[in-house]
Amino acid sequence: MTTVGGRDEVQRSDASQLRVVGRPLPRTDAAEKIAGSTRYAADLALPAMLHTRLVRSTLPSARLVRRDTARARSLAGVVAVLLGEDVPHNEVWVDVPGQQTEVRALKARSQVLATGRVRYHGQPIALVVAESEDVLAEAEALVDVEYEELPGVFDPEEALGEEAPRVHEDGNLLAEWHIDSGDAATALERAPIVIEGQYRTQFVDHAYLEPEAGVAWLDDDGVITIRASTQVVEHFRDIAAILGVPQARIRVIAPYVGGGFGGKEDMTVEPYLALAVLRTGRPVRMVWTRQESLLARPKRHPMRLRYRTGAENDGTLVAQDIEILADTGAEAYLGALVLLYSSVTAAGPYRCPNVRVRARAVYTNHPPCSAMRGFGAMQVVFGCEAQIDELARRLQLTPDEIRRRNAIREGDRLPVGQQIVTPIWLGETIDQVLRAAGPRPEPSRPHCRVGRGIASNLQPYGRLVWLQDTAAAWIGFQFDGSVTLRCGVPDIGGGQAASLGQIAAEVLGVDPARVTVHFGDSARTPLAGTSTATRQLYMSGNAAHLAATRLRDQTLDAVAEAAGRARGALRLGPGGVEGGGEPIALPRALELVRGLGVPLEVLATFHGPRGRAVARDLAAERVFPDFTVGTHLADVEVDCDTGQIRVVRYLACHDVGRAINPQSVSGQICGGAAMGIGSALTEEIVLESGINLTAGFFQYRIPTALDLPDIEAIALESGAGMGPFGARGIGEPPIGPPAATIANAVRDAIGVRLTELPMTPERVLAAIRAQAHTDPPRPAPTGP
Amino acid sequence: MYVRPFGYTRPASPLEACEHLRRDDGAKVLAGGQSLLPLVNLGLSTPSLLVDIQSLGDLHGLHLEGEQLVIGASTTHRMLERDAQVRRVAPLLAASVREVGNLRVRNRGTIGGSVAHADPAAELPMCLIVLEARYLVDNGARVRSVPAADFATGFLTTRLAPDELLTRIEVPAAGPDWGWGFQEVARRAGDFALVAAAAIARCEGTLVADLRIGLAGVAPRPVRCPTLEAAARGRSPEALPELAPLVDPDIAPSDDSFTPAHYRAHLARVLAIRAAQDAARRSLDVRAA
Amino acid sequence: MTDATSRITVNGRELECRAAAHLSLLRWLRDHVGALEVKYGCGEGVCGACAVLIDGQAVNSCLVLAAQIDGRAVTTSAGLGSPSGGLGRLQQAFLDRGAAQCGFCTGGMLVTAAEFAGAGEALDRRSIRDALHGNLCRCTGYQAIVDAVDDVLRDQGSSSPPAGGWT
Ligand SMILES: Cc1cc2nc3c(=O)[nH]c(=O)nc-3n(C[C@H](O)[C@H](O)[C@H](O)COP(=O)(O)OP(=O)(O)OC[C@H]3O[C@@H](n4cnc5c(N)ncnc54)[C@H](O)[C@@H]3O)c2cc1C
Ligand code: FES
Ligand code: FES
Repeated sequence: MTTVGGRDEVQRSDASQLRVVGRPLPRTDAAEKIAGSTRYAADLALPAMLHTRLVRSTLPSARLVRRDTARARSLAGVVAVLLGEDVPHNEVWVDVPGQQTEVRALKARSQVLATGRVRYHGQPIALVVAESEDVLAEAEALVDVEYEELPGVFDPEEALGEEAPRVHEDGNLLAEWHIDSGDAATALERAPIVIEGQYRTQFVDHAYLEPEAGVAWLDDDGVITIRASTQVVEHFRDIAAILGVPQARIRVIAPYVGGGFGGKEDMTVEPYLALAVLRTGRPVRMVWTRQESLLARPKRHPMRLRYRTGAENDGTLVAQDIEILADTGAEAYLGALVLLYSSVTAAGPYRCPNVRVRARAVYTNHPPCSAMRGFGAMQVVFGCEAQIDELARRLQLTPDEIRRRNAIREGDRLPVGQQIVTPIWLGETIDQVLRAAGPRPEPSRPHCRVGRGIASNLQPYGRLVWLQDTAAAWIGFQFDGSVTLRCGVPDIGGGQAASLGQIAAEVLGVDPARVTVHFGDSARTPLAGTSTATRQLYMSGNAAHLAATRLRDQTLDAVAEAAGRARGALRLGPGGVEGGGEPIALPRALELVRGLGVPLEVLATFHGPRGRAVARDLAAERVFPDFTVGTHLADVEVDCDTGQIRVVRYLACHDVGRAINPQSVSGQICGGAAMGIGSALTEEIVLESGINLTAGFFQYRIPTALDLPDIEAIALESGAGMGPFGARGIGEPPIGPPAATIANAVRDAIGVRLTELPMTPERVLAAIRAQAHTDPPRPAPTGP
Repeated sequence: MYVRPFGYTRPASPLEACEHLRRDDGAKVLAGGQSLLPLVNLGLSTPSLLVDIQSLGDLHGLHLEGEQLVIGASTTHRMLERDAQVRRVAPLLAASVREVGNLRVRNRGTIGGSVAHADPAAELPMCLIVLEARYLVDNGARVRSVPAADFATGFLTTRLAPDELLTRIEVPAAGPDWGWGFQEVARRAGDFALVAAAAIARCEGTLVADLRIGLAGVAPRPVRCPTLEAAARGRSPEALPELAPLVDPDIAPSDDSFTPAHYRAHLARVLAIRAAQDAARRSLDVRAA
Repeated sequence: MTDATSRITVNGRELECRAAAHLSLLRWLRDHVGALEVKYGCGEGVCGACAVLIDGQAVNSCLVLAAQIDGRAVTTSAGLGSPSGGLGRLQQAFLDRGAAQCGFCTGGMLVTAAEFAGAGEALDRRSIRDALHGNLCRCTGYQAIVDAVDDVLRDQGSSSPPAGGWT
């Protein structure tokens, strides 16, 4: 069964019938990456190419008194120095969904290059364009910027105060969401058990290995072409608006991207490259340094979470009261949407009749915060799963019992009102990690203690339904039977393009090696939308599936007619057209098809479910297409003298629906878990009065191979997702549970809960010291 | 990555190297480049000329000279790590150097560079003060010898004059009945230590007869712990933990934006004792064997 | 001197390097030799995306000047192929295990692994992690990478190196 416009029935497939899908085939892009021949965004060089670099604010909040480019321009080799005044449309207005000021829908303003004032450390002020990279360092230093420091605000709570300096004229509240399902206040009053807690998460960076980069040039017919490391080729429209040129004159190409994780969802180098090309007419390259990338590109929102959870004596949840305060930094970007994800998922994968959520995202003079893997649904797991864990302890239930008892099921509604329409295998994911974990480890040294923790999560896949998401794919047979697939999806390292090829190969019965995928080109591949929101396999996968299915059907119809065979007997397979007689080799079959004037190609568009826009008070039949659930388990060892936490065992299980490529799926799960462990233990962008002190990879500590244990990824295949062959999205979900999993394990080991990320050794020690020595007895939390 | 252009030269002798340094205020010695070049890449150091001392053959390699190990300044971390003599004569150096950075850093980085750079959290300079090494310093005309303990004067500063080279490091071999201990806490594998502790000890009977302890990361330069060392004499290794507070007079950790001073101080106490106990136990093991 | 001339062998090809003295080996390889498989990731020596072998030893090409390696032999990940032009043993293991996702760290990983795999030491998984800890990967959680290196080292333990070594 195929999925067509507007409807979103689940495709159920019989896994035993699959030939290509579900097999651990090496990805088609992998061999070239390993051989070293893949050309990433920074790898292109064109004749007479120029080089560019941004001059960035050294202060977090200041008025720009003077910007003088004369000295820089007179330096040999400098071609141009651009200021905000040189940008045709330097004011960029962005809708903030669901939010109103008193008189109108809220829009947020930002500038490509700051003119009047700067709002965060590292904000771009000028663009230096030069003949050689070698003069950029000096030219940058020669741009004179005089600042008059303005009071800034560096705490989201303070930012809400009457007297707080305003980051933007409309005030410091960017977005606010409310959910009221049932009556949480009354239910909490009546609940026999109430757990309370406050939790904090930190600024986190994507820290992909490939810093932002791109090359742009003026192509024939006046088309400015930007080949850049991006998750979104559709930014061509934003670039056109900034430049004041027709959208059709801008083309964005996304080559294989060296990691995205949401950090390349907003524009990075693109507008600056386009400006430089517009000004000079010459090819231009821009490569950000790691240090720039850490300094000012949007981060993951730090959140302050306040949870109150009420339950019956048997552990049944009756109420959750949740407050979320997110520091959105100095620019709006996608902050309102990130917060929406937090709000919708804050109550976790549980059924609870009374839920109240109050969520706010607030401007500060910190670096802007925006999309990052998990997109707001990640931070809240740290709060929610701590509550569930504490509840279990209070009731002397095991952590798996409490979760099983409350697990949400198909047919239940989330607090926001959305009904779950696919089977939820939460209990199965818990069973799996417990079964695989085996006995708890023993402490390796006398001053160490060990503990085990689990945590579960629920992460949407696919975009918010009111965005009316679509993805298109074009697929065609070549005369020799090889297949060309065109789809605008950017491949950000998750094997997005290869998976589409696998799907096409499955449907068309050809060897995956015979399929060539052209991807990520806003002008020459059908637009498929962003590689974000765990949507690509779901959306483009469905589009490719739809196109391939139509191509298969029209091909077989024509062959039946031309060869006089019964249509019902025909199928595409390794032998070409099979059934109803001798197989007809594909090239021959295609000749027959052409003879009838039937085309060898199909363009198909897949529509996600549609929905109505939300308002501040969230209540909607549907917000997201669907969800992925999972459970992680960690065994940790805590050195009680030094406070160090070592993760000794890690398991991660998700219902992935169908693993189109099992290797890609376990790669996503292991990678997501590792990134989550980094957030749990070592990663943090450290700011002091708005100054970003995290100057490089020495200070921004992503985990190394030695900091991590083996990670066991377990993919369950319910076959019940909304993607092709029943797949669910798996790109983002594994980032959710790790921090809570480890916090729960540490709680188990030392009897104290850590409520702030990252869980540094000094925080562990402080918690141990603060602990009262009288702990209530605890049950062994896990174990079959 | 966007560096300001600079010159480069490969002198034929220490004298020539020192002349370059004297002539050009912006000239800097380049050894393994694993501390200097990150600073250059980040624009935090803007030399006009790099004087590459790797061409100076005398500075490479190590050998035993009587009772001491003589290590050329250009000897890489990796050579120290792998050399059998070092493992035998100065096992503390062999063990601690494995904690320096990562494989690639150790393949290029040199012991001389580490000493001259004087990062307060560096392992080797701390171990060298515990081993009571001496450094030979050459300005092309005159060679002087400086005790390791006096060499660093503060954060990234030393007694080296701008036109001087560190040429070799002399490490007296501790006797066969000495044991060693090395402990480090870093936030992540391969990172600079938050705190590292090194100790060597000699036991008589079941008691500590001699103990030397050094700490890195708890003051602008590596420190010894004379108060603790003195108090440890005549005690059993098991009785050392109660002496932990005695590191306090000899350390001066400061708060920075990433790590509070009190945590470094705490680690200093824990790690000093762990290192001392390891050293004492190893000494007992040797005597037992 | 501001321009340095040196002779450097890159993946078996002897080249004359006439480059500005301040040019890092990384930039020389990328901009002058076209060895684009060598990546810039941090310029600090931390990430390992720029790793190459110099005379068989893994180094950070961002922290070496091209001028410094006159007469030496550089091997990049593209030089780790089999003599017949296909993937080498380590590369094949990376492919089989799905150890390259975005692929940006892959060249550096291969090069670092090539140094210790070439040394022929038998390493357990923890030692493999130890040897690789200077190479960051943000995509894989290192799982498939450690698996791939483990596979190669195991094979190596059970047979003698083929002509041309393991890489
Ligand atoms: C990722 C990374 C991690 C690291 N982790 C650690 C760690 O955990 N512990 C640690 O100790 N170090 C660490 N380091 C630094 C490393 O040990 C360096 O090798 C060492 O500090 C400097 O040695 P070098 O030979 O590279 O010196 P260079 O970088 O060449 O020089 C350093 C400084 O010393 C001067 N200098 C060098 N040699 C001499 C000499 N003979 N005479 C006079 N002046 C000289 C130079 O002018 C320069 O100012 C790390 C480095 C990196 C890149
Ligand atoms: S770029 Fe050289 S180590 Fe990161
Ligand atoms: S595969 Fe992307 S960084 Fe390693």
